[in-house]
This record gives sequence, structure tokens and C-alpha cells, in this order.
Amino acid sequence: MNEALQVEGLTKHFRVKRKLPGLGGSLRALWRPSYEDKKAVDGIDLRVERGETVAFLGPNGAGKSTTIKMLTGILHPTSGQAHVLGYDPWRQRTALAYRIGAVFGQKSQLWYHLPPSDSFELMSRVYELDRAVYRQRRDLLIERFELGQYIDTPVRRLSLGERMRCEIAIAFLHRPELLFLDEPTIGLDAIVKQRIRELIAELNREEGTTVFLTSHDPGDIERLCRRAIVIDHGRVIVDEPVERLRRSVLSYKRVVVRLAEEPTELAALPGVETHREAPRVLRLMVDTAAVGMTEVLTELMARYRIEDMTMEDPPMDDVIRAIYQGNSELLEEGGA
Amino acid sequence: MSMADNRPERAKPVAVWRLVLTCWKLNLAGAMEFRMSFLLTAGMMFVNNMIWLAFWGIFFTRFPVVNGWELQDVMLLWAISAGGFGWASMLFGNFTRVATMTAAGELDLYLAQPKPVLIHLLVSRMSLTAIGDFLFGLAIYAWVGDHSWLGAFRFGCGLLISGCLFLFFVLLANTLVFYIGQSEGLAFQVFNSFLALTTYPSDLFRGAARLLLFTVVPAGWISYMPIGLLRETAGFGFLLQALGMTLLLGTISIAAFYYGLRRYTSGNQIMMRS
Amino acid sequence: MRLRIASKLRKYEAVGVITVRHQLAYVTDFILRSLFLLLILYVFIQLWSAAYAGDTEAVIAGFTLQQIVWYLVFTESLTMASPRVAEKVEAEVKQGDIATRLLRPLSYIGYHLAAYLGEAALRFFVHLAVGSLIAWLFVGPPDFGLGLGALALLAPGSFIVAFLLLMTVALCAFWVEETRGLEFVLQKLKFTVGGMLLPLEMMPDWLQSICAWLPFQAVLYVPARMAVSYDAELLRTYLLIQWGWVAALGVVVMLMYRRGVSKLHVNGG
Repeated sequence: MNEALQVEGLTKHFRVKRKLPGLGGSLRALWRPSYEDKKAVDGIDLRVERGETVAFLGPNGAGKSTTIKMLTGILHPTSGQAHVLGYDPWRQRTALAYRIGAVFGQKSQLWYHLPPSDSFELMSRVYELDRAVYRQRRDLLIERFELGQYIDTPVRRLSLGERMRCEIAIAFLHRPELLFLDEPTIGLDAIVKQRIRELIAELNREEGTTVFLTSHDPGDIERLCRRAIVIDHGRVIVDEPVERLRRSVLSYKRVVVRLAEEPTELAALPGVETHREAPRVLRLMVDTAAVGMTEVLTELMARYRIEDMTMEDPPMDDVIRAIYQGNSELLEEGGA
Repeated sequence: MSMADNRPERAKPVAVWRLVLTCWKLNLAGAMEFRMSFLLTAGMMFVNNMIWLAFWGIFFTRFPVVNGWELQDVMLLWAISAGGFGWASMLFGNFTRVATMTAAGELDLYLAQPKPVLIHLLVSRMSLTAIGDFLFGLAIYAWVGDHSWLGAFRFGCGLLISGCLFLFFVLLANTLVFYIGQSEGLAFQVFNSFLALTTYPSDLFRGAARLLLFTVVPAGWISYMPIGLLRETAGFGFLLQALGMTLLLGTISIAAFYYGLRRYTSGNQIMMRS
Repeated sequence: MRLRIASKLRKYEAVGVITVRHQLAYVTDFILRSLFLLLILYVFIQLWSAAYAGDTEAVIAGFTLQQIVWYLVFTESLTMASPRVAEKVEAEVKQGDIATRLLRPLSYIGYHLAAYLGEAALRFFVHLAVGSLIAWLFVGPPDFGLGLGALALLAPGSFIVAFLLLMTVALCAFWVEETRGLEFVLQKLKFTVGGMLLPLEMMPDWLQSICAWLPFQAVLYVPARMAVSYDAELLRTYLLIQWGWVAALGVVVMLMYRRGVSKLHVNGG
């Protein structure tokens, strides 16, 4: 059984109460609610081999957490099938649970008032680990993740970085074959992020743990994952090695300029998408693979008088939209 | 390879039991972490109950209103109610919070782990104030209870049944969250009302109200205990009936939870804030 | 000119609409609390009917059954009207918000007082309406003449004293990790020596003399008793008692606040 994940036509519909505008609408909603059908996940096909490191991306509301919930057996699909480590997540949830791990960035599994060592012990009971094996494993993880200094300090006194290290270390305690990580590096500073990525990558290499990572952080994707799956509106729109993605999408930069006066015309530059965001404010998406930043800046300064400028990595939403809307090249070359 | 190679497909009862014990142990350790605060909180609860009891003592001395009930019976009523609620909140501290937890998406964490969801989530918390309630119950028993072996047995049974009734009834009220959204407020008021009703002698009520108190809102089983169970002259008929009621309520509430959980996982209503 | 009026009206209408929509969300909360109130009153009416042995003419310590039942309606309505300000204040203290938000004790306390009074008044009226239904059902309509007017006069003092008592407990959060236990004790003291269930006259003498020195009677006993049994002379005394406690507790709260905030500044929250 070489496949960690095998998903076909996974679909999930929700019935959401429809809120009509105005006071009359609110009252009517109390009296006779009307529903509309929302497709959170709309036919996903996936195949992930054991040992892969996969980045699972998409803007907010794209269906990521719904998909992960279905893969872990927490949620049942409206239609479609999935095999996770050979198990049917909905009919064999408990059996599967022994073999997978999950870290939800926002929801902690550590007990707040106790030291992490106690949470380790608790998990050893949850996963029914043999005492000797557990102790060995725990010591290994404490050493690897460098938790020794604060393993006995109550979690509430730890910094976010220390806490996340503990969370992820604990997730590896029972040697899961597949690990779901949901935004594990959110809110952490760059050094801690890098260290955590390294540790996950190491354990992936050494123990063959398949990693399924949800993140909005381009660094996570580039440094940790070999494959990227992008979903939007409940469908897979890109399923590429990260190498490809980097070249075509992650090379985007977002530039926001505030001009001295209203622009009479929008510059049309190759490799640049320009939008008028507000009076005197332009937002540009620059594909640095297609055009050099120097070129773009020179052109801008030649055309306009610039009062202020910011340059940053585009938020994932913009990136996804760019993929979905424009990058036909990428889609044709073998995206979903 | 994975340590899960010789793992079972379902959690065995022994493993579940070990998990429960570990949770209880950790909960107690967590309480000890805040030594001062814990003593203060539990102590305040104790004082709180004493004030209330003293007051009712004054009332019932002035107005011996309920036929057949003496001050001692009222005190023991409080002991059973507070004591039962106390131990249930210590060992299964999340039973009042199931609706809140579900609405906040906390069930997902338990669903992702290979242990039965209900018991796991129930034992994951210990209420500190409830320790004060439990100690209060014991203190009152020490003060005015029947200290013979039989008397201790009766009181013990009373505590056990009282706690179970609290646990199951409030759990049942909380399972509404799977069917109606926004039911945390309702679950809380049901709990509050039940708690209040267990502290007034059941003989205060007659007719339809009394019937309700022994069926739909089974607080009457607790509030009749001083007469029906704890008196030396009481037989065991009431005890057996109360036991039956407890088992029935337990079955219904646990079934309601798992049925609701099935709705939650397979349903198509967005009720989780996740 | 007309345009300005029109736009102002529209603004108020918008605010009104938002407020109503807000309240709709609270409606379930109100309904649930009202049901609980009905339950409690029902239990108490049973209790007191038994105490009076069903005799509607009997007078115990100056109260008829009817007076007692309405007394309970008033005390319960007042006590359940209290919004949960203590939790909010405790949370703000814990987060060190106070030090940065509002530096002057009057502003901070005053802000919370205003919010408290607004919500308490609304809740009080709703509870009064609901409670009156069940009292009417069991013992007939209120027949207290000026008493009800006196209730209105004494209600503000009641709310403010209750608020200040809550604040003294909530501000303990500056020094103590958990104030919930203290809140419970405060509540119970209000219920017992504050005269919620038993008017002070019916307590043993030794207890009555204690209660006379405590602020709790100003919250529940004073307004409710005056309402069911009007007495002009006593009214003046009661007003003095209430506002005397307002002054005394006000000073205590200010001092606590100042001390607490300076401690925050020193320790950095």
C-alpha cells in the first residue's frame, strides 16, 4: 500500500441560512428561514504517495479545512470517496486516528496550565503507547525539537514559538504515517519558522511521514514541500511540483503606490497587472519571472509622481486569483 | 515503521480507562498549579454554600413549612445536591459545556483522536469551584448525617445518583446544540433551573408540578432523597426506583449525544464556527 | 434646513434599527431568563403559601401573603436585572487594558456605570412585567398605591449600590487571580442579608441588627419593602441609607481603582 491518500470526486454541500438585507429580512429569517446551497468542496481528486510533502493552498473559504476534515473522518462528504492510508475515514475513523496526526494552528492540544511533559503523557495514553517505547520516543523528540529547557514549564508561560514546537513534537509522538498540519507557523518569527520547517523535513526524510501542510506562508511551501495543490471554490486548480509553482507564481511581487495626482492612464506593462485601488492609489502585481523589478520601477517613476510605495509578497489570495484568472500557461501545462 | 502496526481498530475499555485516570490525574495537578487561587475559589464556594444553608436554616426554623421535613433533612438535601453536582463537575467537568464546545468547533480535536468522543471530552476538565461544593456536601454529612455504616452507604448512594442525574440531564439538554443552533443559552438555563429545583424539598409541590419533577425534569429524585433514602426508617424502594431513573436517563442522554454527533459529522448544516 | 432634519432623522432611524436588531439577538436571552424567573417565583410562592398555611388574611411581621409575593417579585426583578459587568471588568483588568484605555477613575467607572444602568433598567422592566403575571395569577393585583412610586424612586439607588458592590469585587482582580468565588459570595450575601427571600423583619433580632449595618439591604430589601408597604417617613430614611452607601462605596471603589492602576503601572500589567 504505497498511497497515503487516494481521493475521488470528493464533494461537500452545505445548506446555509440566507440572510436578507434590512430589518424586514432579519425578522423574516426568524419566521421562515430560507436556505441556499453552498458547495464547499466540489469534486476533488487527489493521489498522494507515502513520504510526500504536500502544500495544500487556497484563499480563505476555498474549502481547505472542509477537505481536511473529511480526510480525517471528522466530516462526511456529500458524495465521493477517499482512502487514507488504506482506510475509509468515515467508517474507520478510530482505526485511522491511531495512524494519523493533526496540528491545528489555532486550536491547541496542549493543556494550558500544565507543562508540556504532561501533555506528552496524555497523548501516550490516547495512542496507547508502550511505556518504554513512549519514553524513548519522547526523549528523542525533546532532544530533536530542543524542548529540554521548558518541557516542565506550564504552557501558559511559554511563548508562541515554544508552544508550537511542543505541539508539533507531540504530533510526532505516536509515529503517525500521515501528518496534517494546519497553519503551524502562523504568527511565528522567521527564525523559529525556519527551525520548525527543518525539523518537519528531517522527520519526513527519516521516518517517511507523509506531510500534508496547509499554509498561507510562501516560505513554508518553498522550504518544506515538494508538491503544491491549490484549491479554490472547492476545486483543485493547480497540482504541481513546488518548483514549477515557484517559477510561475511565487515569483510575484505586490507593489502599492500612492501617486501625487490622479493618473490619467494606467501603465500597461508586460508581466504587470495594474489596478486602481483607491483615488491616487495603484496596486500592481509584478511577475518578476517575466519582467525585472528595476524595469517596472523605472517605468513607474517615469510616468508618475510617486508619493509612497510599498513592496511585498502578495497575499495567497492574490496569488491564487492570478493563477486562476490569468495563468493559462500553467493551467494548460498540466494543472488540474 | 509506525508504532501503530499492532494497534487495534477500536479502543479497548482498559485503554479508555487508563486515559480517564490520566485525565483526572492531570486535572488535579492543574488545580494544584494555582494553589492559592484554587484554595480561594473552592473555599469561597464552600463559604457560599454555608451562607445559603445558614439562611435556609433560619427560614425553616421560623417556618417549619413542609410536613415531615426537619431542619436536618433540609441540610442533607443541600449536602446531596451540592455534593452530587460537585463530584460530577470534578470528574466530568465538561458536562455543562458540551453545547459551547460544539459551537466553538472543539469537538473536532476529539474526533481526530482514537478514543470515544464523549467520555474523552467529559473528563478533560475539572471544575475548581465544584471541589468546594463536594467538600461542602461531605462536611454537612459529617455534621448532621447518619454516621453508621448503613447511613454512610445510603449517603454514598445518594451522592452517586445525584451526581449521575446532574450529569445525564444536563448532557441531554446540551445535546440540543446538534439540532438547534444557538442553544448554549438554553442549555445553561436548563442546567440552572435543574440545579435550583434540586435544592427545594420536593414535598413542596403537588399535582402536575410534582409529576413533572419526577419525569421530565427529574430534580425530584434528588430533592426527595432526605426522606426517601437517607432516613433510617426509609426502605430501599425509593433507591431502586431512583437507580432505574438514572439508568434510563443515562441511556437516553448518551444515545442523544451520539446520534447528534452523527448528525454533526454527516450533516450538511454549518453549525461549527471552526 | 429640511435636508438636515431629514438626514438626522434617517440617522436616528438607522441607529434605532441597529439597536432593535441587536435586541432581537437578545430576545432569546430575555425569554430564557424570564422563564427561569417564572420558575423561581413559582417555587417561592409555593414555599410562602405553605408558610402562611394558605391563610390569605394572616399577617406575619407586618406582611400579608399578597405583600410577600409581590415583595418577592420586586426583589427577584431587581436582582436578575443585574448585568454581568464584573466579568467584563475582570477581563479588562487582567489584560491591563485599564492602564492604557482610561486613566481617570471617574471615566472608567462612569463608563461602566452608564452601561450598567441602561441595561439594568431595561431588564428590570421586562422582569417586572413577567413576574407580575405570575404574582397576579396567584395573589391578585398589586394594591400598593404610592408604594409603586416609591419603588421608582428607590430603584436608581438600588442599581448603583449593586453596581458598586460588584465593582469592589471585580477590582479585586488587580490583586487576586480569580474573583469568581468572591462574586458568588457577594451574590449570596445579597440574597440572604440583603433580604431577597426573607424580609428583614422576619429575621431573628441578632441578624437584623447585623443587616442594618450592611449595604446589601439597600439593594433589594429597601425598595421592595417600601413598594409593598408605603411609609413616607421611612422613605426619607431609606433614601438616606441608599445614597449614604453610594457615597461610601464610591469612595472605596475609587481608592481601589487608583491603587490597582498604580500597581499595574509599577508592575507593567
